[in-house]
Parts: sequence; C-alpha cells; structure tokens
Amino acid sequence: MWWNRRTTTETRDQTTPSAPPASPGPARFLDPEVLARIGSLELLARAVVEGFMSGLHRSPFTGFSTEFTEYRQYNPGDDLRYLDWRLLARTDRYFIKKYRADTNTQCHLLIDTSASMRYSQNGRISKLQYAKFLAASLAYLLNRQQDAVGLVAFDEHVHTHVPARSRTGHMRTIFGQLSLLEAGGETRLAESLHELAEILTRRGIVVLISDFYDRSERLQSAFQHLRFRGHDLVAFQVLDKNEIDFDFEDPILLLEDSETNEQMPVLPDVVMSGYRARMREHIDEMRRCAAANRVDYEMITTDQPLDFALFSFLSRRVEK
Amino acid sequence: MWFLNPLFWLGIAAVAAPILVHLVRRTRARKIEFPALTFVRQVPQRTIRRRTLRNLLLLILRCLAILLIVVAFTRPFFTRRSAAKDSSAGATVILVDSSLSMRREQMFAAAVQRAAAVIDEARNDERLALLTFGNRYEVVSRLTVDKARLRSTLRTLSAGWEGTDYEQALRGAESLLGEQKTGGPKRVVMISDFQASGWSQANASFKLSSDVQFQTFDVGGSNPQPNVAVTNVDAHGVVFGQKYLENLTVQLSNFSDTPRDRLEVNFQINDQTVEKREVTLNARETKVVEFTGFNVAEGANRCVIEVVAADFPADNKFYFTIRREAPAKALIVESASRGRSDSFYLQSALSLNDALPFNFTVKTAGTVNPAGVAENALVILNDAGSLSSALADKLKKFVQDGGQLIISTGPHTDANSFNESLRDVLPVTFRESVQTKAAESVALTDVKFDHPIFEVFRESGRLAAAHVFGYLRSEPKPAANVLARYEDGSPALVEGTAGKGRVLLFTSSLGPSWNDLPLTPLYLPLVHQMIRYVATTDEGSWYGLGQTFRVAKESKGDPPAVDSPDGTRLTDSRLTPDGDLLVTGRQPGFYRLRYAARPEFAAVDLNPLEGDFAKMDFGAFINGVTGGSGSAQGREANRSFTNEEIESRQKVWWSLLLLALLLLLTESLVAQRIKVTKMVG
Repeated sequence: MWWNRRTTTETRDQTTPSAPPASPGPARFLDPEVLARIGSLELLARAVVEGFMSGLHRSPFTGFSTEFTEYRQYNPGDDLRYLDWRLLARTDRYFIKKYRADTNTQCHLLIDTSASMRYSQNGRISKLQYAKFLAASLAYLLNRQQDAVGLVAFDEHVHTHVPARSRTGHMRTIFGQLSLLEAGGETRLAESLHELAEILTRRGIVVLISDFYDRSERLQSAFQHLRFRGHDLVAFQVLDKNEIDFDFEDPILLLEDSETNEQMPVLPDVVMSGYRARMREHIDEMRRCAAANRVDYEMITTDQPLDFALFSFLSRRVEK
Repeated sequence: MWFLNPLFWLGIAAVAAPILVHLVRRTRARKIEFPALTFVRQVPQRTIRRRTLRNLLLLILRCLAILLIVVAFTRPFFTRRSAAKDSSAGATVILVDSSLSMRREQMFAAAVQRAAAVIDEARNDERLALLTFGNRYEVVSRLTVDKARLRSTLRTLSAGWEGTDYEQALRGAESLLGEQKTGGPKRVVMISDFQASGWSQANASFKLSSDVQFQTFDVGGSNPQPNVAVTNVDAHGVVFGQKYLENLTVQLSNFSDTPRDRLEVNFQINDQTVEKREVTLNARETKVVEFTGFNVAEGANRCVIEVVAADFPADNKFYFTIRREAPAKALIVESASRGRSDSFYLQSALSLNDALPFNFTVKTAGTVNPAGVAENALVILNDAGSLSSALADKLKKFVQDGGQLIISTGPHTDANSFNESLRDVLPVTFRESVQTKAAESVALTDVKFDHPIFEVFRESGRLAAAHVFGYLRSEPKPAANVLARYEDGSPALVEGTAGKGRVLLFTSSLGPSWNDLPLTPLYLPLVHQMIRYVATTDEGSWYGLGQTFRVAKESKGDPPAVDSPDGTRLTDSRLTPDGDLLVTGRQPGFYRLRYAARPEFAAVDLNPLEGDFAKMDFGAFINGVTGGSGSAQGREANRSFTNEEIESRQKVWWSLLLLALLLLLTESLVAQRIKVTKMVG
C-alpha cells in the first residue's frame, strides 16, 4: 500500500545514516549481490578497493598516515594543494609532491560468526557473507597502505585468530580464513570482546563487524575494556534490511530463533509496528553506547554497497 | 418450521468454503529462521490474540451469512401446527367442501389431499372429525383419534352437485366440537374454493365461538375459471293446450370477465331439438331468452335448455318438465232469472282465452245435480241465490277435498242463507246489503297489489276507477285474507281456505247489477287473474337440487318406483301419511317416476349461483365468522392457505437475506478494520 510504503521509507531514513553520493559506475561493481558472484575473496577485495579508490581520485582522502615519496611533473588538472610552492619559487618549475602510506598501524578485524549472522532474506547474501566481504575489502585496503592486518572470528568464544602482519602474503592467510568462516553458535558478544581485549595486547585499530544482538550495557562494558587497552574501535553493525523493516508478505509466519530454535507464530502485519519501534530503540541505544565510548559506529544493511562502508571507515579515520 | 424448497439444503455444503479457506490459510504459516526474535517477543501478544479472535469472528460471520442465504433459498415458513406443538391435545373438525364447484379440474382431489395432510400433521392424541358440505353438511366421521380410519374414509369421498353454504358447514362443525368435553384447543379447518356465492355478509347470522380457532385452506386457485351457465327457466309445468302460448323464459349468465360471442342455445323436448338461438353475453351479463309457440305432446315432456360452451359443463344444461293435460271441468252456478243470464259477461270473458285450464258449464242453482259437483275442479257461485242444503253440503265437501270455489254476490244472494249453509267454507260472515244512493258509488281501496290477482294492476291504478253501487257488507273471519276493501272498510275481495280447497269471495257482483266493472276494460283481466289464481297448482316445472318433491301414489295405492338421473333405482325414499312418496333431488337431470299407466318425470336442477366461481371477500368472511374479536393468534391462523401462500405471506426468506446482507456488511467492516490496522501498523 502506498502509505505502507511511505511509512517504510520514512523508517529507513531514520535508521540509515546519510550515504555519500556514490557514482553510478563503480557503485554498480561494489553492489554486494554482484560481488557475491566473485568466488575469490582476494579478487573481490581488489575489485572493491581499486574501484573505490579510482572513484575517489579527486577526493581529499589520499591516506591517513601518508609521507612524502617523490616529485613529479605538474600536469594540468592536478590538485594545486600538492604543488610544491617553495620549489616553484626557487626553480620556477611546477612539481607535485607525492606521498605513500604509513606502515606502522596494526588493525584487527573482528567478525561475529554467531548463528544470527546466518540470516538472509529472500536469498540475498547473509549478514556473515556481507561481513566477510567487508572484512576482505578492509584488509586489502589496509594492506595496500602497508598496515598490519589481523583477523579474529568468534561466536560464544574466539575460534579463529590470525595475528596482524603487513606483508603481502599475509593477505592470502586472511582471505583463506575468511572464506572458511561459517555461522553457528550463540551470541555472547560482550564476553567475546572482553576475551579479545585480553588477547590483543598491542594497541591498534579494532574493526568489529557484528549484528550486535546483545544488551547495550553489556556492550558498553566491553567497549570500555577495549578502549582501556588503547584500541581505536570501529563498529559496523550489519543487519539485513528485513530485520529493520520486518516487512513480510505472509499473513502469518512461524519464526524460529536462529540460535535457540525457539518457535513463535507471528502475524507480521500486527507485529510490524511494535517490532520496528523496538528495533529502532536498539539501534539508537547502540549509537548512544558507541558515542559514549568514542567508538566509530556505523549501521549498514546487506543491500548497501560496500563502498559505503569503506567511505564511512576512511572518513572517520581522516577526522582523527 | 417447514420448507418450500428443501432441496436447497444441499447448499449447506457452501459453508465449508470459508472454513476450508480459514484452515488452508492457517496451515500455510511459513517457518522462517529469524535472528531478532527477542524484539518480536516484546510485542504484546494480546494484539495477536485479538487478531486471531477477529479472524474467528470473520469466519463465523461468513459461515453464518452463507447459512442464512441457504436457508433463505429453502423458503422456510411457519405453520400453526408447529407453533402449537406444545399445547395439550384438542379437537379439530375438518370441513371439506364437496359442492358442485369443487368438481372443477382436480380441485376436490386437492382438497382431499390437504385434508389428509391435516390429519397427518395432527397429534396422535388429537381428536379429529370429518365433515363434507355443500348446501348442507354431512358428518362423515365424528370426533375420533383413529387416524387410519379417517384416512380410509377420506379416500371414499367425492364431490357432489350441491351449492355451497359455509354457514351451515360451520354450524355443523361447532355442533361437533360441542361433543369435546375434555378441554384443549378447538379448531375448525375449512378446505374449500371459497366461492363468493357461499356466504353473504348481509345475511350472515352465525359466528364461531371465541375459543374455536378457524383455519382455512383455499384449493381454488387465484384465477376463477370462466363459466357460462343456464341459471333459470320460467315455464308452466302444466299446460292444457297443444301449443305453448305463454313465453318460456330462459336466463343465461356469463360469470366471467370476458365477453362470450355467439353462444348457441338449444331447446330440446324429449331429446328432440325444438329451437336454436345464438346469444352474445358481455362480461358478467345475465340475459333472458324467450321461447314460445312450440308444440307440447300430451303427458309428461322432458325439456332441456343447453348452452353450448367449452367450460364447466355441469351447469350448461337446465332440465324442466312440461306436462300437457286435458282442461278440467268448471261449473258456473247462477240464479234463475228472466232475460239475459247473470253470467253473460262472465261467460264472455272466460271464452276469450283458450289458455284457461277449464271447460265451463253454466247452470242455475236449481238445476245443479249436487252429486255432480265433485266432477268439477272449479265452481263459481255467481249471485246464485239460496242454495239447497244438499248442494251446500256437496259444495262444502268439494272445497274440503281440494276443490276451488269462487263466490260473487248480487241482488239475488241471500246473505243469511249463505252464512248458514256455507258457514264452514265462507271466509267472511255476511251482514246487510249496502246500496248506494243514485248517482253515488264507492270505489275499491286498500288493494293488495302484491297478490297474484292484482299484481298486473299495480302500474295502471285503474282499479280505483271502478264504481260499485251495491255489495254485501261482511266481516272477515280470522284466517281470511282481505285482498281489497271498499271505501267504508268493508271487504271487497277475500281469500280463504277450507280443508284442501280454496275460496275466493267477491262481495259485489261479477255482472253489472252492483257495479260497472263488466263495462270497463278492467273486467276481463280481473276475471282471468281470479280464474288463474284458483287454478294454480303447486307443481312447478323443475325442482332445485336438495329440494324434496312429492310423488303421488298410484291409483292402486302404492307409490311408483323412482329412477335417479344416473339410472339407479331410489331405495331410501320416504312416504307421507297419505302414502305419497317423498323424493329429495340429489342429482341434476330427470327423475323417472315409473307409474304403471305412463311414466312421469321430475326435473332437478343445480343451484344457479354455484356456477359463479368468483372469490369471496375473505377478510369480511373471516371477520364475519370469527366475529372479528378473535385472538391475534386466531386471526393469524385464518390467513393460512396453501404452503406457497403461507410462505408468500410470511416472506421469512426476505428477512433471512436481509440478515445475511447485514452479516456480510459487518464482515466487510471487520475485515476492513483488520486491513487498516495492518497497513497503519
């Protein structure tokens, strides 16, 4: 119904942060559904990052830990901000300064593989798949900047841990482990984060990818623990669009909890409004909890392009 | 409750449709793995329960609407029997109309079928009685609980030939219900075609008791069948000449609302067609056709008037008899006088009409042989003077035995002698003779114009112009009937009876001695009327159905055998104290009276009104019969007819459909509310 659709749209606007105006060309290739057809995570990550970077060539984000590497001849169209004015004054020649990334940062990608991450609606990619794509892309991006990248996967406990390395061959380990991840087990996110805070002794960037189905006060404690260890924390809450909208066409459904297998008959049209309100409250609490602990929080849905997540990640890093 | 179309109950299967839909939709719940069940669980479950209840309400509304539609199509109706199931057993009298009009189509069979249904529907302990009725009622079975016997009796019934009298039938029913002493409801069930001719609101004099329920079943249909009938024939039953000189009038009636053109009317005597006519009758018109101048054979003649029409055939024929007899002897006794006879004017008047049934002989009182008086059928004492005692005695006996006597006075009449000698037969006692002064006269007054003698003078008024100069003052006896008086109040014409005979007395003269009547045009018709009047016999040309007629015994003493029109010999006849036979006409046609010398016939005809099939004013009938003060329940019962009519009056299906529509509307509103809740939610 038109009013129903309108309501749905309004709800989405409230829960989704403002997305950047992605250019149509690259965005098409960064669509998760398209990327899902690429069998190799490495290829996928490369396609994402290269496409993403080429789309940003006129953007201000050239790297967050850059250092000067060389000069090159100025060509018309180059950004005048990188023109070496001193050299111009001395030699009356136009040169552009080029930089390269800092290689000292260590970044750990934390992926929630609990059973709830298995959910996908109508054959779309699951939340875990999306998380893997995102992790692969971020790993490729970080490795391209010579940062050390590690991988941690957990459900009730940490079951996969790849220490952070910056060498190129390390990526294959990361991608290999990523491709092996499967959803299962219950979510005990706060406990897992506390456990990781003890494992990750060297401070760095921690990227947490989860659906965050845990109580906010418990998460707040876990975030504080990680922040106490000196980590910069970036949280991606990955949700299926239908987890937010609860938009089912069936008049009645038998819902089964992914983790407890508890079943419950539901009339979607009756439950929808109450569910949406509670989901909004949960997301808002997550946002408040993240803000209170200076955690970079972003809620993304599995139908959003990956470059949106990369854009969000980079923009927040630049602000630091 | 009964159903006009019970087959539509098969449609009840349609109720399964919404139930199946409900079940199918309910079992189609898809199982989905969902991670955020925590938030779903936090939604109040009462919303879901309310929705479930609403769905159940929708299901019930849909099922109920379909059920009501199905029931509406079965056309249900309620009968009094079903309403009175719980009451104690009572008594019911079933009145089945067996009149002539019930012979139409299969009407009587339908009435019998309806009566059987009433018997079947009655409680086993209810007492039932069965009556058939036409003009009168016949108790077929008194109150009994033996239903089987009633049913078998019912099968033996057949429609009769009588007219209809609903009042008589109801009297019979009420009389039978009086035998019910054990209490309980009383009911009269009348099954008939309800002809208008069977009941007259103006003449209604009977009402059912207030505790009697009156139920009717009309098996006559709503459109009366068109009908043409011969409704009356006015003919002289006895004639004395070969040629029928009077007008034989035939009355034809068209009882329908459509005109009938060129109907053929046949007049037959002894199975030979005498004359044919063509008659056109407009809607609801009655027309008179006259026949005259036809020859009549000696003895009894069977006459039939038939209208040829392809409708109800029973009343298309009208039967009557004309018997030709030889003229009887009549004696005129006058006083001996010189010159012109006192009976000159009388003789002249009587000789001018061949149709008079007498051969007259004039004699003086002295020349009359008293023994021969009895040979005459009529004796006229025309100013006869004093009578010998022998003659007076014979005259008295003559009158007592049925002879007709006309007496006129005059100057020769000895009042005292008459008072003495004819005291037993004279209707008056003579007083003095009255003579008016010269050039004075008295007139006839106080004339009874409704009497057959004077009815022909009703319009003329000329009787008052007659001048009477002399008369015998008289005093009428108590039993006498004074037909006219003089101006002083003294009787002028007096009628009396003695024994089987009749005496007509004119206290003035039939000659010109005491009045100028013979010199006026009044004289001839007055004399003829007097002669005809005394000559009139009670014998008509036909009898009505149900009428009892007398069949005189044979000269040997035994009554003749009588065959009914269908040829069967009558056995249940009754005899009068004189030995004559009394026969009641039960069939239309000719009853053959088998006299040894020559057969005689008696014609019996139907009630002419029975051919009019127009329906009665039913409301007036019910009000008239129940007094209009019966209970509402009783009045409602009176409106019951056939099942179709009962159903048509009650129109339960209409209410059911309306209710179903309301349910569907409610269902739509509830469904819409659920839908809106879903969209807004």
